[in-house]
Amino acid sequence: MFTSNPFTLLTEYLPPFVMQAYVVLMIFAVGIGTAFDLYHKRSAEYFALRRSKSKAAAQRRLGAGEIASLAIRTVGTEIASSGEFCKWKRRLSHLLMSYGFVIYLIATVVMVFVYATAAHTPIILTALWNIGALMVLIGGCWFFFILKVNVAHEGHSPFYLMHADLFIGSLLASVASGLLWHFVQTMHGGATATLVLFALYILFTTLLFVSVPWSKFAHMFYKPMAAFQKRLEEAMGASDLPRPAAGSNIRR
Amino acid sequence: MPTYADMTKCDGCGECVDICPSDIMHIDPVYRRAYNIEPNFCWECYSCVKACPQHAIDVRGYSDFAPLGHKVRVLREKEKGSISWKIRYRDGRVKEFTFPIRTTPWGSIKPPSEYEAPETSGLSSPMLAHELAALKVAALPVLPLAGSKTRPV
Repeated sequence: MFTSNPFTLLTEYLPPFVMQAYVVLMIFAVGIGTAFDLYHKRSAEYFALRRSKSKAAAQRRLGAGEIASLAIRTVGTEIASSGEFCKWKRRLSHLLMSYGFVIYLIATVVMVFVYATAAHTPIILTALWNIGALMVLIGGCWFFFILKVNVAHEGHSPFYLMHADLFIGSLLASVASGLLWHFVQTMHGGATATLVLFALYILFTTLLFVSVPWSKFAHMFYKPMAAFQKRLEEAMGASDLPRPAAGSNIRR
Repeated sequence: MPTYADMTKCDGCGECVDICPSDIMHIDPVYRRAYNIEPNFCWECYSCVKACPQHAIDVRGYSDFAPLGHKVRVLREKEKGSISWKIRYRDGRVKEFTFPIRTTPWGSIKPPSEYEAPETSGLSSPMLAHELAALKVAALPVLPLAGSKTRPV
């Protein structure tokens, strides 16, 4: 399972250009969905307003070097290590999902566009596809069944589904059906089972990418923006929070 | 002025849901972030504002009925044992205050669950369970019983 390319085996049923066209379509769906999401939730307008308010309230101007340093810190803390989470379990689960998803996505694109018809696919790629999907599955199930705030703090059942579950639900269903499809494919399972699992994989993957305007998929674009804006406001002295206390009251 | 959770700052940790004595801080079913389900029932106790680790909750008049720009922001600093307040008045004045909230390190006070379970005989005692240990005293003065000639200790 870890050594075979699921998309090479798929060429028995589908020509590679169909798979490649599907990937391109999904990329367009994410782009258009994100633009629509920015428009209908008025996120861009909100950020522009917040930026102009913070500029007006700024106590000092920032140089280009300082802004670049803040951007690097945002990339290192909020994006690369999910530093915004105050609880380590949620942070770890988010890291598993985000890195797993990126690894899985890159491996999928390379395997579909470069190795779909190749006799041999590098084992590192096929292994990364499986490892990435497993990371998403482990981090996602941990979050979905245990850490989800409405389960952990509101007392909801993990199976109580709401609108906010559209993204995590379709992501989990997509990687789980993808892994199952690949498992049945490599175990030489029946053709019908393989096709049914493949159909489910395509269904959930399409749902994941097409539902961007209604799900929280776009958070991967606007959350870093919000984190950067917060750092900018703090550095400019435009934060609406009180100034930190001058000294400590703790007697050790 | 009820509480207001800024969804771009909230990380959906659930601390406000746990601490709200009025049970009006809940999780939004669309964005899975905290929000106040009944602003008119808010006691303005500020528990959620102080507990929020992301400083995502402020207290202000909602813009649909009181767009006057007044609000209260809180910064709790565990490592310094202090809490700071920034009050923005309707006329634009801003005042800031800082108060000490404790002198011992955060988490250094033993929670009730870490004490041994009290014995049943303790029910007849006027003392609270582990009261002496919690107050760090050997004994407390007690009043004499009615009709007794024993002097108070």
